[in-house]
Amino acid sequence: MSIDQNTKKELIAVFERALSIDKSRVTPHLGYKEIPEWDSISHMILINEIETTFEISIPSDQMVEMNSFSNILLFLDKNLLKKPS
Amino acid sequence: MSGIHHILYKKDSITLVNAESGTKHLLTELLLEGEITDALPFRSGLAFLYINNSLDDVIAYLSLLNTGLTLALLKNDLEASLKTDLESKYRPNLIFDPKRNKIPNTKQLAITNHEIGLSFFIYDRGSTGKIDPRIKVLLSTSGTTGSPKFVKLSGENLWANADSIASYLPIERSDTVPLNLPLNYSYGLSVLHSNLLKGCTLVTNVPDIISPEFWTGFNKYGYSTLAGVPFVYELLDRIGFRNKDLPSLRYFTQAGGNLSEPLKRAFYTYSKEKDKEFYIMYGQTEASARISYVPYDQLPAKINSIGTPVKNGKLYIDSENHELLYEGPNIFGGYATSMEDLKSYKNIPVLRTGDIARQDEEGFFYIVGRLKRFVKLFGNRINLDELERFLKEECPGASLACDNIEDKFILVSIVGDPMAFQNVKQSLFEKFKIHPSSVKLQFVKEMPLTKNGKTDYQALSVMYADDSQP
Repeated sequence: MSIDQNTKKELIAVFERALSIDKSRVTPHLGYKEIPEWDSISHMILINEIETTFEISIPSDQMVEMNSFSNILLFLDKNLLKKPS
Repeated sequence: MSGIHHILYKKDSITLVNAESGTKHLLTELLLEGEITDALPFRSGLAFLYINNSLDDVIAYLSLLNTGLTLALLKNDLEASLKTDLESKYRPNLIFDPKRNKIPNTKQLAITNHEIGLSFFIYDRGSTGKIDPRIKVLLSTSGTTGSPKFVKLSGENLWANADSIASYLPIERSDTVPLNLPLNYSYGLSVLHSNLLKGCTLVTNVPDIISPEFWTGFNKYGYSTLAGVPFVYELLDRIGFRNKDLPSLRYFTQAGGNLSEPLKRAFYTYSKEKDKEFYIMYGQTEASARISYVPYDQLPAKINSIGTPVKNGKLYIDSENHELLYEGPNIFGGYATSMEDLKSYKNIPVLRTGDIARQDEEGFFYIVGRLKRFVKLFGNRINLDELERFLKEECPGASLACDNIEDKFILVSIVGDPMAFQNVKQSLFEKFKIHPSSVKLQFVKEMPLTKNGKTDYQALSVMYADDSQP
């Protein structure tokens, strides 16, 4: 299963904006609280930014799963595909 | 009985649970009181404790509480340069900092018993100046900035605060209390003290509230209560807290700033439906934390109020400038900005809160404005003049101003070329841990001034509001 490259690119840009970090620091393994910029405060900003950018609503029971770049990408991949394009 | 060391009088019954490892201990087995007194080369002096909410942090703090030392409680992840700045300014005799392996000119002292081992850094420089023996704890006025300004609190202050809280919150001895707020923050310290007083079980090393481990731990250990600043409630709202099944939860508290009315109502409704209680409280570090609270049965009618004063406290309003004034045994003994200030503890009869308030016919108080220039972000108070000074030092010659927009973000207005000020957000984050998304930059042609020639903050926020209109 390959993940849509545009989604990935878009998500990197979202991370860049929400955490105010350079895109070179957004790696697949980047995890919540692993860098000072990704704390509980910016996490909420990140989630909001993801929801507006991808026009998606993240159910509250999924919130705790959104704890790394790759998990978020996986979530988007699964849920964006369901939408008719 | 008074004095904060008496919070430990029920220590025989107190259990501490480490949420990370799952281990349980009796507090008496962990406390290193005798061992510390025997090992320390001095009886009084200043201790710097860089802490959060781990088992070691709690034990280091409580073990030192009964010594003659004055304890400055500081955030453990403070930037290294801020730590050394503070240390050269105050010249502490002892440092507890699990984040550092080495501190120049100190020797390490390991103190252990059967259950726990803690390491302290000791300076071999003898007495570094006299400290008023009444000063027991020093807390920073803002949780984050590493500002050298401390609030001086006595053992009596801390006791009075813990005692008043324990008398209005429905704390029971059988409660299990997660220490989910840092202990260097006056609200977090209040939670520790008031629950120790009642002999509750305390949970340390509590994971982040948005991690799955926090919620497994919630039901595994059976948390009875939860404390949070407005941001925590916004977060709880977002993660679907009100849909979770939390049978052990009996009551929850909110302080550290104003929570929006819709959220207050939503959490109140939740509490009513699930047979729990919700307490909205108001305070300041200068009052060892707590000043007032809203009794639970009055909450629906007084949802926007800060309530009525705590036990032994008195609130009233200055007839001239409408400032909220407080009297009570928990008022601090003045600020310290240098070692020199530790020589004295002042008795301050009236605390001027800096908040403008009104009172309704039934005696409830409402905050309507603010006299001092500060912003409250995520429960932390940030002095806007201090930010301004810092940014002017960072950008020499620049004309700029910092203002508060509804406690949502800081507006930095700058005269000049945006390209020259690209690092403003980053430097505020590095120095003060203010998240970049909480800072808005506005570039203006010239700095508006009032008739007296001072920065016209009102004009700046109007400019911002006009520009951000869709």
